[in-house]
Amino acid sequence: MEHAHNAHNAISAAAPAFSSRPEDLAWFILLLPLIAAAGIAFFVRKSNVLSAVFSIGAVLAAFFLSVGLFITFGIGGEATVTTPFSWIHVGDLNVNLGVTVDRLSVLMLLVVTGVSALVQIYSTGYMHGDRSFSRFFSSLSLFTFSMLGIVLADNFVMMFVFWELVGLSSYLLIGFWYEKPSAGDAAKKAFLTNRIGDFGFLIGILMVWAATGSVSFAGIAHKLGADPTALGSMASIAGLLVFCGAMGKSAQFPLHVWLPDAMEGPTPVSALIHAATMVAAGVYMLCRTFFLYQVPAAWPAPLSFLGSISALDIIAVIGGFTALLAALIAIQQNDIKRILAYSTLSQLGYMVMAVGCGGPDAAMYHLTTHAGFKALLFLGAGSVIHACHHEQDIWKMGGLWNKLPVTFRTFAIGTAALAGLPILTSGFYSKDAILDAAITGGHPVLFGLGVIVAAMTTFYMLRLVIVAFFGAPRTGAASHAHESPNSMIWPLIVLAVPSIAIAWLPLGDFLSAHFNPHFHPHEGGGIFGPFNHAPLAATFGTGALLFGAAAAFGVYWNVPKDPLPGQLGLIGRAMKNRFYFDEIYDGVLVPLHDMLARLADWFDRWIVSGLIIRGVHGSTELVGRALRLAQTGNLQTYTFMFAAGVAVVVMIALKLK
Amino acid sequence: MNYSLLTVEILATLLGVGVLLADLWLPASARKLLGYVAATGVAILLTYALGSGAPADGTAFGGMFVVDAMSNYFKGFFLLATLVVLLMSIESSETLVGYAEYCALTIFAAVGMLFAASANDFILMFVALELITVTFYILVSFSRGRLGSLEAGVKYLILGALASGFMVFGIAFIFGAANTTNFYEIAAKQTELAKSPIFLVGLLLTVVGLGFKIAAFPFQMWAPDVYQGAPATTTAFLATGSKAAGFALLLRVAFGAVPDITAHWSRLILGLGIVTILYGSLCAIPQRSVKRLMGYSSIANAGYLLLGVAAASLSGGTAVLSYLGGYIFTVLAGFAVINVVVNRTESDDVSAFAALGQRSPLLATGLTVAMVSLAGIPPLAGFFGKFLLLKAVAAHIGTDKMFLLALLVACVGVVLSIYYYFGVVRAMFWPRNATDLTPIAVGGATRLAVVLCVVGVFYLGICPNALVRTAKQAVAGLNVPPSAAEVHTAAK
Repeated sequence: MEHAHNAHNAISAAAPAFSSRPEDLAWFILLLPLIAAAGIAFFVRKSNVLSAVFSIGAVLAAFFLSVGLFITFGIGGEATVTTPFSWIHVGDLNVNLGVTVDRLSVLMLLVVTGVSALVQIYSTGYMHGDRSFSRFFSSLSLFTFSMLGIVLADNFVMMFVFWELVGLSSYLLIGFWYEKPSAGDAAKKAFLTNRIGDFGFLIGILMVWAATGSVSFAGIAHKLGADPTALGSMASIAGLLVFCGAMGKSAQFPLHVWLPDAMEGPTPVSALIHAATMVAAGVYMLCRTFFLYQVPAAWPAPLSFLGSISALDIIAVIGGFTALLAALIAIQQNDIKRILAYSTLSQLGYMVMAVGCGGPDAAMYHLTTHAGFKALLFLGAGSVIHACHHEQDIWKMGGLWNKLPVTFRTFAIGTAALAGLPILTSGFYSKDAILDAAITGGHPVLFGLGVIVAAMTTFYMLRLVIVAFFGAPRTGAASHAHESPNSMIWPLIVLAVPSIAIAWLPLGDFLSAHFNPHFHPHEGGGIFGPFNHAPLAATFGTGALLFGAAAAFGVYWNVPKDPLPGQLGLIGRAMKNRFYFDEIYDGVLVPLHDMLARLADWFDRWIVSGLIIRGVHGSTELVGRALRLAQTGNLQTYTFMFAAGVAVVVMIALKLK
Repeated sequence: MNYSLLTVEILATLLGVGVLLADLWLPASARKLLGYVAATGVAILLTYALGSGAPADGTAFGGMFVVDAMSNYFKGFFLLATLVVLLMSIESSETLVGYAEYCALTIFAAVGMLFAASANDFILMFVALELITVTFYILVSFSRGRLGSLEAGVKYLILGALASGFMVFGIAFIFGAANTTNFYEIAAKQTELAKSPIFLVGLLLTVVGLGFKIAAFPFQMWAPDVYQGAPATTTAFLATGSKAAGFALLLRVAFGAVPDITAHWSRLILGLGIVTILYGSLCAIPQRSVKRLMGYSSIANAGYLLLGVAAASLSGGTAVLSYLGGYIFTVLAGFAVINVVVNRTESDDVSAFAALGQRSPLLATGLTVAMVSLAGIPPLAGFFGKFLLLKAVAAHIGTDKMFLLALLVACVGVVLSIYYYFGVVRAMFWPRNATDLTPIAVGGATRLAVVLCVVGVFYLGICPNALVRTAKQAVAGLNVPPSAAEVHTAAK
């Protein structure tokens, strides 16, 4: 442990746990959902009403506490770490159970508890009549608790534990309708794909611990601040391994395959996973551990050809590629939830690219705005699905705009924010920040890619809106649709507010000041700020929006079926089939895995079990049987051996002299 | 003379005589009652001995009889073993001819053990051992209708007589060389006695007699045959009371009377321990008879305990005592179950235990706990005893590499033991071809015995501190060298 950190520990250790310090509120925020989850599971399982009240009550309380923390610490507060409990103390390894309260975490607390609260309120309507209603709320609370743990963790070990808890609770929620085979498969796929990433994450954590001797973020940051080469030649590898964790949770190529399948869970779960929990965890973790990536690039000898290419560069390319790939796939999806799912993938790629370009503030900014409007879009999609009797194909909808007026208006706001409508929506500002980060980070190619993806985003979102909400109803279900209940409508309205309002808050500067202590807000800020200080990004972003919108209206206004597949041909088919990633994995990875499994089975069966176990077992048994021959049951033999034994013992004993 | 030191022994003898006399006047139908009376009497004695009745330390009969922490420690366990054995025997009160005599003899054997715990002189030691052994000759062959029981009795009688012969012979040598048989007096002049071959041979021959009681290699031949042939209750008493009495005396001689010579002979004792472990464990593997299996298990456990004696240190002695405490509970739990099954099925083959998990969950639980504890798996008593023993052994590795060998052999023995103990567990819960699935009704006394022992096994496994503390006081009271290092430097 380091001096500065130690000193701080000493201070917090001296104060009694749960004193009146405001940062201790964080513990309550963390534990409230857990208490709700346990309370539902053990006590009020039988009562649907009480289950919902417990769960929503806990998360609302957590939300208001988060608002309190945000006001106290977010605005002008110092970064604090409180570590009241020493958890594991083995040799050099010292793990505390501590919470980090700083701008990053309090903002994220707001996002998580806020979205979670709205999703849970919405769920009371959406899940009405489900026979496992209370199990659903218990799992949601557990999920929220796990995510809050990641947000508040002040060390890698604690973060990893909650990281895995998120994996577990997402498994429970994606596979919530476990009687559906596809849901069970999707849950397994999400869990296993995440485990692959987590494996790298764990090795990365171990490497960082081995090199710096600390697992606490403050401790590692302090050590790296004093000696940027502390990680040695493995610096970049360690960074990439930690990034593996983010690749799993934030669904980056090539581990992105689980996210679209996760749509098998109930729609509120999708909203929660896509907006505030789970996928956000990866990006948040990269921002939290950004200090790991600020060290000079260093590679071990076999990889030295990579030279000065840093881990961040690789992360940026992976993010950009994911953004492009997912946007391409989204253009040719017909399931409303899948379009949104690929859109999330694409936007996550955006955020990861921003981190890679050295702009964690831009990434967090986009994460925050995206959480709001993506939750809105998903809940809106849920409302549409609910209204159309669980129809999810947009080509079987149409003309819904006047039948679902509130859903339509809020969905349109969400779409505008995702497309980045200038001045009016939050998405514009955060997207602009990312494009700006790409330029200032010296990645013109990625900037161009970002602009293309932005145009494609507008295109596929407007395609969705035009096909589903306008034109003539294509099926009976669509023509008889009517607006969803109030419990589902109100969260939409509430979520529509931040999709617009965040635009006018100085959130970008707020975050930049966290990552860069020397940051000064740009001159000429305000709502037209981007056009002043980042004209290139703002102009290209707006241009992309206009281009995408024009293309979407041109292709999809008043058409009975999708004209694109005919024009795109083979590429269109590939896009529709998600570039055959699942098929490739099935064709390559699964047989490979099967082969390894068979090899291991052979080894276990013949070498371990056969030669070693049976060999040892057989020879010991043989010795046992041989010895048994001495035990004849004949008394004369016994007495003889007794006397002989006495003679031998006496002889040996006297020789010992 | 201070007769109050002998209160427990005198009361126990009176109880035995009382039971014997009561049999004269009571009708045959009431003999089951006699078992309860005897058990209640022993239970009262036990609470008396552990509570207010424990006399202050002191000696009687001119230093022959001593009351100290060690004697109190063992007396508690002897009375406990007697209590459980009597409870178990109520189950077979119908099948044993002369049940009242059985109870009385069991109590007389217990009196012998109580004296053995307090023996501070070779003469009293011999007398106490003979009292135990002679009663056991009868107890082993008590199922007079069964050839196996009679055969076991004869074997035990002849080999026991042989061992006693060696012992008397050895005691004569010792008296000749030392001119005394008192442990304290011998301890005072052990440095000069250590130079006398006569004394050493005498000591060895005496220890041979003890080796017979604890069934250590090469004096273990009788154990499997006798364990198998004797009635299960007798076997239980043989494996706990009789064995513990042997160790009580061995510790008094080895740690109290001649600690320096023990340290000097530590490699011999260690070697015997190693061979004993291997012999017991290996022979147990092909066993189908559970009683015989327990015989080999008893041999193997004697080996583990010898390692603690060989360690010749406070921690070694403490480990031996703690191990014995947990071992008594464990073995009694096992035999309480075996006794019922053998009575019902007339067989002690592993197949007789098939599907016991369904037939009587209580019995299956009791036997499983016993087997798991014997295999040394936490959190049961067996684990803690083995842990302390191996820790005491490991402390010597630095000075003598043979202790490393002992440690390895002990670990191998534990692995082997898991194999044969779990064979019984497997038969109970995953039977291959169980034909008889009728529930087994268990009498209240056996039920009590099983529950008592299982609770004890868990208690000593989870909270062993009180036991270990008492054991440590008991060993420290024997003038055991405070630490191993000093022993070795003194010996060299």
